[in-house]
Parts: sequence; C-alpha cells; structure tokens
Amino acid sequence: MEADDEIYANGGDDSSRKPIISGEQLDIEAYAGLYTGRTKIVRLLFIADHTDNTTMQLEALRMAYDEIKKGENTQLFREVVQKIDGRLGPKYSMDSRWCDTVDRRAEQRKERLENELNAYKTNLIKESIRMGFNDFGDFYYAHGLLGDAFKSYVKTRDYCTTSKHIIYMCMSAILVSIEMGQFTHVTSYVGKAEQTPEALEPVSVSKLRCAAGLAHLESKKYKLAARKFLEVGPELGNSYNEVIASQDVATYGGLCALASLDRSELKAKVIDNVNFRNFLELVPEVRELIHDFYSSRYASCLDYLENLKANLLLDIHLHDHVEVLYDQIRCKALIQYTHPFLSVDLRMMANAFKTTVAGLEKELEALITDNQIQARIDSHNKILYARHADQRNATFQRVLQTGSEFERDVRAMLLRANLIKHEYNLRSRKH
Amino acid sequence: MDLSALSEALASESYERIADICDDLMLKVAAEGVAFQDEWPYAIHLLGHFYVDDINSARFLWKSIPVSVKENRQELVAVWKIGQRLWTRDYAGVHEAINGFDWSQDTKIVVTAFSELYTKRMFQLLLSAYSTISIQDTARFLGMSEDDATNYVSRHGWIVDHASRMLTVKKQPLVAEQKLDPDKLQRLTEYVFHLEH
Amino acid sequence: MNTVESLVTQIQGLSGNSSDLSALHNYLKQAEESLRSELSRLLPFLHQLDPSVHSLGYLYILEACTSSPVWGDQRDMIVSTTARFITFCAAEQIRMAPDLFINVCKRFKEQVMLLEAPIRGVAPLLAATRKVQLNSEHLTPLHPDFLQLCLLAKCYKAGISILEDDIFEVDQPRDFFLYCYYGGTICIGQKRFQKALELLHNVVTAPMSTINAIAVEAYKKYVLVSLIQYGQFSTSLPKYTSSAAQRNLKNFCQPYIELAMSYSSGKISELESFVQTNREKFESDKNLGLVKQVVSSMYKRNIQRLTQTYLTLSLQDIANTVQLSSSKEAEMHVLQMIQDGQIHATINQKDGMVRFLEDPEQYKTCEMIERIDSSIQRILSSVELSLKIINYHKEKPFRCYIWAKYN
Repeated sequence: MEADDEIYANGGDDSSRKPIISGEQLDIEAYAGLYTGRTKIVRLLFIADHTDNTTMQLEALRMAYDEIKKGENTQLFREVVQKIDGRLGPKYSMDSRWCDTVDRRAEQRKERLENELNAYKTNLIKESIRMGFNDFGDFYYAHGLLGDAFKSYVKTRDYCTTSKHIIYMCMSAILVSIEMGQFTHVTSYVGKAEQTPEALEPVSVSKLRCAAGLAHLESKKYKLAARKFLEVGPELGNSYNEVIASQDVATYGGLCALASLDRSELKAKVIDNVNFRNFLELVPEVRELIHDFYSSRYASCLDYLENLKANLLLDIHLHDHVEVLYDQIRCKALIQYTHPFLSVDLRMMANAFKTTVAGLEKELEALITDNQIQARIDSHNKILYARHADQRNATFQRVLQTGSEFERDVRAMLLRANLIKHEYNLRSRKH
Repeated sequence: MDLSALSEALASESYERIADICDDLMLKVAAEGVAFQDEWPYAIHLLGHFYVDDINSARFLWKSIPVSVKENRQELVAVWKIGQRLWTRDYAGVHEAINGFDWSQDTKIVVTAFSELYTKRMFQLLLSAYSTISIQDTARFLGMSEDDATNYVSRHGWIVDHASRMLTVKKQPLVAEQKLDPDKLQRLTEYVFHLEH
Repeated sequence: MNTVESLVTQIQGLSGNSSDLSALHNYLKQAEESLRSELSRLLPFLHQLDPSVHSLGYLYILEACTSSPVWGDQRDMIVSTTARFITFCAAEQIRMAPDLFINVCKRFKEQVMLLEAPIRGVAPLLAATRKVQLNSEHLTPLHPDFLQLCLLAKCYKAGISILEDDIFEVDQPRDFFLYCYYGGTICIGQKRFQKALELLHNVVTAPMSTINAIAVEAYKKYVLVSLIQYGQFSTSLPKYTSSAAQRNLKNFCQPYIELAMSYSSGKISELESFVQTNREKFESDKNLGLVKQVVSSMYKRNIQRLTQTYLTLSLQDIANTVQLSSSKEAEMHVLQMIQDGQIHATINQKDGMVRFLEDPEQYKTCEMIERIDSSIQRILSSVELSLKIINYHKEKPFRCYIWAKYN
C-alpha cells in the first residue's frame, strides 16, 4: 500500500492547489502601459492581428491609433486606419491633413539635416558628423524607415571616439534590428558592445542580456535564451521599455528555463536566484507554475500554463515558441514524474497530466522510443514499469556482436588490400 | 535415371534426406544430358523441401518446372498448393490442402509423414506463442476436429475452459542438456586468465 | 599426316606420373598449332581417351574442338562430352593448363545457355570451380559463371555451397564484382539477408576508379536488403569506399534513397503510396519483389518497436498503431514474428492481449558457451589474418601505394 500512497502523492494532490488568478482576458491598457516607443505600437498591432476577439482587436487598434498620432510615422498611421476600417467612428478615421503636415515637416527636416551633415563633413569635425548621422538615424526611425535608420546608426561607427559612443551606436543598431526582426544583427551588435574596453554600466549589461536573450529565443536556442534572461540584473527596471518590460524577462526566462534546464540547474539558476526572484514577483502566475513544477505539482503547473496560453500567444516574441516550449515542458514533467518509481499507475498519472490514459500511453510511448524514459507500459493493467537494463546480458550481447563485426571487417579489409594490389599491378604494367 | 538413393531414403523413412538427394540427383542427370523433366518425381522432391522447412527452395523448384509438366500432373499441382499455403503462412490452409486431394500411394507416404511433422511444428508454435487460445483456433492450427484437438492438448497438460471454449497453455520447462566439452572450458579459463594478468 | 594419331598415342603413354606429364605438356604446347588445323576430325579421337586418366591431353584436344563455333546436334554432343570431362578429369592435371581449362568451361557455359538448359551446367561448373581453385580463399574466373547458371536454373541452394567460403584472393576485379552481385542475389532468394548484405557491401565499397553498372545494381539491392534486415539505411559509406562510388552511387539510385527516407517515417501508407508511384522504376530494375518485402518488413519493424515500449498491449491497439485492418491480422503478424524468432511474446486470446517478453537468453547454457568459444576462435583467426594483411606484400612500392590509398 505504501507504494500506492507514493503514487498518489505525486501530482494528484488537489487540496493544496491554489486558485488560479491569471489567464483572464488580457488587460490591453495595462499591457500597453508597460512599453514605450515603437514597440508599444507594434505589440498592439500584433495583438489586433492575432486575437479573434473583436472588442479586444478594436481596443488595441484604438490605442495604436492614438499612440501613432503622437509620433511622425504616417505610413503606420495609414495602415492602422485601414485596419480600423471605420469601425471606431469618425474620430478614428483617415486624417489626411495630419499626414500631409507631418510629411511636409519631415521633408523640411530632412533637408535641414542634410545641409547640417554636409557642413560638418566639410569641416571634418568628427563628433559633429557622428551627431549628424545619429540625427539621421533618429529621423528615419521615427518615420518608420528602419533600413535607412540602421544604416545611419552604423555609419556613426567611424566617428566614434569613446567607448560610450560605441555602446550608443550598438544600442541603436540593436533597437532597430529587433524592430526589423533581424536577430543575427542583434547578436553581432551585442557582441560588439560587450567587447568595448571600458566596463559597461550595469544597466547596459542588463539591456544587452535582454537583447541577446531575445535573439536566442528567436533562433529556438531556449537554453541559451534562458541563461541570458536569468542573468538580467535589477537595474533594468523600466529602462528598456522601448524593447522589453521586466515582466517579459520573467515570462520569457521562466518558460525557457522550465523547458530546457535540468532539475539542478533549475534550482540553482531560477529558484535560488535572488535577482530573478524579483522579476518573478511581477508575474506571480509564472512564479507559481515554476514552483509547482519543481515540487512535482504537475496538475497545478499545467493549469497555470493552460490559462496563460491565450495571452502568451498574443506576445510578439513568444508567439512562435509557445507550442514548442509547452511540449518540452510537458515532456520534462512526464519524465520527472516517472523517474523515481518502479511502477506508476497510468490512470493516476493521466489524472495528474489532465489527459486520458490512451493519450498518456501515446505520449509515454514517444518518450520511451526516444529513450528519454526507461520503462515499459503494461497496457493491460495500465501500469508503467521501470526497466532496468541487465548489464550482464547486454555485455554478452555486445561482446558477441563486436566480435562478429571485427571478424567481418578484417576479412573485408584483406579482400580490399588484394583488390588494390590488382589495381596497383595494372598501373605499374601500364607505366 | 538412377533413383535408387531416393528409393532407399523413402524405404528407410529418412524423409529429411529427400531434398538433398533429389537436388544432387537432378543436377547430376541434367549434366548427363538426360531429359529428366517428364519423369522427374517433382511431387516427392517438393515435399522433401517442405519436410526440412525449406520453402524457398521449394518455390524455386516449382518455378523451374516446365509448364507442360505442371499441366499434366494434377498431384504435383496439389502438392504445390500445400507449398503456397506454407509460403503465405496460411497455417490452417496447409491442413486443408493436405486433406483436399486423393494422393497416390507413393506420394501419400511422404504427405502423411509431412502432415504429422507439421502438426508437431504447429503444436510447438502454439506452445511458444500463446498463453490462452480458443479451442476453435487450436483445432484449425492442428488440423483436427475440435474434440481431437482438445484431447491432444489436454494430454500435454493444457487446461480446458468449456464455458468460454478457451484453452490455457501449459508451458513446458526447457530442459537443456548441460554437458560441456572440458577442453572448451579450459580454453575459456585460459583466455580469462590471460586477460586478467 | 598422322600427327593427331601420334598425339593420341603420346597422351595415352605419358599420362602416368608427373615427369611424364610435364614432358607431355611440352609436347602438347608444340602441337597446339597443328591441332587447330585438324579441327574437323578431332572429336572422334576423344573416344580413345579416358577423361579421368588422360585429363591433360583430353583438355588440349577438347579446347581445340571447342575453339570454333558449333551448331545443331553437334552442340548437344559437345556439351555432354565437356560435362563428362569436367566431372571426371583429374584436378592436378588440368591445373597444369588452367587457362585452357577455363576457356573450355566458359565455352561450355555459353553452350548450355544457348541450349536454354542452364541446369545442365550447374553441377559441372561447381566441379570445375573446385578443381581449378588453388585453395578455398581463391576466387576463380569460373565463380561468377557458376553462380549465374544457378540463378538461371533456379538452383539457388546449389549456389550457397560456394558462397560459404571466405574469398581473399582475386585475379580479376570484374569477376569479384559479378561473384558478389550474383551471390548477393542468390542469398536474397534464400532469405539469407545478412550474407547478402556482406556480399553487396563488398561490391559497393570495393576500390574502383570509375563507377560501374554492377556496383549501381548492387547498391540498389543493398539499400533494400538493409531496410529488410535492419529497418534502416544510412547513405554514408565507410571512408575507404572509392570516391567514384561516394560521389555517384546515390545519384544513380535516387528512387531507392527516397524509399529509404520514406521508410524512416515509419508510416506504412506513405511508404505504400511511394512504392505505387515509383512502381515502374522498381519493376524495370527487377526489384519489385524485394521492394514488396521491404514494405511488409515495416509492419514487423513497427511491432518490434512496440516491444521496446510495452509490456502488454491489446491486439486491437497493435492493429491501430501499425495500421493493420483488424486485431486478427495483428495476431497473425505477431505469431509469424514469434515463429521467426523476431520477437519474444505470448498471445493471450482470452483477453485479446499480447505480452512482450525480454529475450530469454541468459547466456548460461552450454550452447552459448560453445558459441562464445567459437566466436573467440574466429576472432583469433581474424587477428592472424590481419597480420597477414600487414605482411601480405613485402614489396615496398606496393605498401607505399596502400598507405597512400588509406591515408
């Protein structure tokens, strides 16, 4: 009976489960409030594109409209008006006058910037030229010409005279690259920034880790992404809101860590990490699900994940990775669940993992085939039995096999040597 | 054509030798330029292959038989029918093919011998492959009536459940002879000694 | 004018001991020219000679007789005469003129093929191969001819006897290629897939400066047999494989490579539809039968995979997982696999379940000890063989050549 008790204790314990508070419909206003600049608009548009809730969609578009109007990006403005398509009333319709004014002012400003830059160039004042290109970068960025902005920022490089300038240039290039989705650029400029001879300010270090984390996330290197996000320091605060919020650091880092780190690393780098704990406090659901996972309360962990899923799918950076990360987390949970036991009741396990016995069998089958779980399923009695390899028999088997392979190889080799000899004789006869 | 070696094997009931004897004889008479095909005991030759469970050779032999010979010999075709069932592992069909033809006296002896052997093989297969099996299937595999099959397996300790018409197989403990050539043991000991020192 | 008559007398008189025979051999060599000029009246003289006693002389005359084309009834007689000669001749005599003997045998093979009676040549060519062979490691030019006749006459079992020898000495690479290819085909027919793979592998990986048709055909069968035997196929060849083969084989065998890829998905329906669309290619390569065996091997492979995962599983679940139409069909597949020793399991008809068992081999029986002992013996002899490789050719330039090839 004791063994049974153990099985029960593993994950099926409903009494200690906490009420789940998250997973309500996304509060767009609060969400948007976490960000500034272009990312705020783009994230809103992303939500509008990916939600099937019309109220939410219109709300996101309305906020995007207002936000864009504060800036100078008429291209984006036209796009959002098209998406709203009159559904928000006359107040949110096409404002051609605004567009014309902004565009006209942009022309004039561009002309002025060009004149200024030319003047700096003739005078050969390095610092002024750098500033001139930088102003161009800002100008293009504000108007949504990201490629030109990137080029302009990168041009300042030749006129940088201090490490600070270099870092400034890298930061600008990283910002634009993230907006463009060019994450190989991000990685390379993070590298350049980290190579500057002077010690970086803590806040810059944290920003660079965020950027590197995003780049790893995009290239599906979840373990590397997790490590970067877990190293972000408390200095970050709100300082990088044009790219990422502290809440994102907790969510991205937490999920990547669950999916990719082993149990001991999870303990050392997540649970015992004082720094990261502060980030997790901002997203209690993620904190709870990590603790549930670590304490083998899988049902609760999976509940949290399921509830968070809809909102995570509306996140511009996480969207493409939610399914993969979830699958990996689930696999790890399944493996961890079975690990300590000689036998596991599949009905109970299915309960803990919120699935049917048949579905669980399929999942376990895949993991056993992949050699991630060493066990076999008694499908008749619905029990999973751990399998302990018989070392003696395995050794015998391997010895006999190695022996016959060796024998075969030697014979084949002797044969080849003879064939080569023939080839050789043929050649020497020709010569 | 001197088939005395074959006759001798048949007379001494050494059916396991038929295939080899026939194979060799056939190549020999062929080399001598004898037009053997019309008189060749193909039926017995095929059965010889069945007897030693060499269905591949039986199949190639069948393929090599001239069409004219196949057309003129009903019994040969009937023998190959057994072969087809063996080839497709239609276990019950083998018995049907055996019982479905009125064999000539000479052939009948070998067919009967094969039939007995095949029943034994089937019994061994059931023994190794099943823990429970229906009486109906057992009868089909063994080529017997259900009553005969039940009696046959009961003699080997299988348990009959009349209600469910199921049989519980009694596994026979494997008794392997444990007699070893002392030379070999000595040699293995020397290898181990050599490895450890 | 009486040269043939006097030659026959010489043969009759000088076939007794080895010194007589070498004298006779010299005499015969000188007489070769004149024999050719008397072709038309040679045949009857053979009746005055006994093939088992006067083998060398018989060989010279027979060789001359068969050197010109033969027609009609004469063909049948020549075939019978040659068959008898090959069967009864004395090995130590014909080995004095092996080239002549091989000529005679090769012409004999052509004749039985023209007569469309390949079976007439099987036993004589086996005897001929054994007689001309210096030792069992030696590949003669007659090996491939013998195997080809076995294939044509459907006497696969007869072919197996010669394939059991380990071949190391090769005179002509082409003979070796054909020997391995025909041998592989015979082993496939007898379902000796392990041996077939070994032979085909020899062809595929043999040194070759340009790709040849035999290697291409061998590679195709190699792909298929690998799938049947191991359930997988790796396109990477060992590094000693010639660069000609490394570069070109895959391109010549595209449908086969794709078949292997489709197989690796484990989905029977995908594999079947692939075979269906490429049916003609496989058919024209005469590999369709083998391809069908590949398809049915996938059921086995998938069931075998289940044994790694399940301790018990219902027949219905097996049927669903491996895409069989009914639980009865699943039962028959499992039964066949138990019969063939491919899985260890017992079927429980009452519950409709299968229990998969671990390999019952405990490596404790006498039989196993004997197997281990014989394996060690074979390995020790392999070690001796590998020393033989090192010392095989004392000539320095050859060794340098080998090193250049291997490094």
